[in-house]
Amino acid sequence: MLLAIETIDLNGSESMFSISQKLNLQDLLSSKVKIWKLRCSNPMRKSFVKNSINFNEFIALVKVTSEMARYLHPYIREILSSRDNYIHRPELWDNFSERYSDLISERFNSESVRVRKLTDKKTSQSTFTKVLLNLALCNSTNSHKRLQEILINL
Amino acid sequence: MLQNKHTFNQSSVSLELSGLPDYSRNDNENSISIISHWKLSILNQPEIEGGLDHLKSIISSFYSYTASIILDQDEKLSSDLIDIYLRNDGKHDVLLKSTKPDVEPLRLTIGNAELSDVIDCFDQLQNSDEINLDFSKLNPVYNKKRFYKLKTNKLVKILIPPLIALFSLSFVSSISILFYRNSYEREKELSYMVINKTSKQLSDVIRIY
Repeated sequence: MLLAIETIDLNGSESMFSISQKLNLQDLLSSKVKIWKLRCSNPMRKSFVKNSINFNEFIALVKVTSEMARYLHPYIREILSSRDNYIHRPELWDNFSERYSDLISERFNSESVRVRKLTDKKTSQSTFTKVLLNLALCNSTNSHKRLQEILINL
Repeated sequence: MLQNKHTFNQSSVSLELSGLPDYSRNDNENSISIISHWKLSILNQPEIEGGLDHLKSIISSFYSYTASIILDQDEKLSSDLIDIYLRNDGKHDVLLKSTKPDVEPLRLTIGNAELSDVIDCFDQLQNSDEINLDFSKLNPVYNKKRFYKLKTNKLVKILIPPLIALFSLSFVSSISILFYRNSYEREKELSYMVINKTSKQLSDVIRIY
């Protein structure tokens, strides 16, 4: 989901850090490097580091994701709308899915079957839609609680 | 008494509620505790309206359906008043069933953008201080149903190939044993006669059944 945010916001990592400061999460997300390290606990990443992420750090990342999604909501909605009306205006969706796939290939371990599924255009489209729909649902206040529940049960 | 009216908007969707405050609960005069009417408008779609039970059913169904879609659970939600399905093109079919007899169900097709707008309007309603609607039974339960379901599926997927292999192996072995036994029995019934034809010690075997 953070990678999807980075796909939309070209300066995503900088924005994430700014948002974390705005949300007063300095203790947990003290620097951009710290955010990067936490993101590297994703086993699908090339730069995967086996460090356990604690619950407070997880909540902090969820809050940042949710807040970023609120901030990017108009763009997210437009991309979803392009997906819904793909026959008439496919440009936005194509741009998004192409860049998202590129980022996945760049950052994730392409040896993994799960990652290969994400980079395969035939199988990835529904997953990308779900990721965007999930981000689109983060528009309201307290939506991070829903995102948190969804991620825990995913 | 004039009814209060509150509207929640999000891009292509608008949710309008009318009703009265409940003064016995010390509500302020602008709030709504007794909902008498509501109307959900989605761009390019017919308006949906009804009573409180309909609203609760629709909110609950939309929340549950969205949760199940995101969690990769069932792609279909069915209830007495509303059915929601995921279409092959990624859009969503909403079938609204009327409680009145002889009224045909209303079918709407909405995209993911509209679905997120609808959920956003319901979220605004839930977070509103002016509307007193009990959401405790309307919010979806994010359980690990999918996890168990996946586990069962995985178990079946894991068990079926070796079972098929075992079955094929035992089938082929039984057939081979049967065939071997038949030919062995036959062999036993044979009598052999060796005839020395010449001094060159050439021998022929004549099989007599």
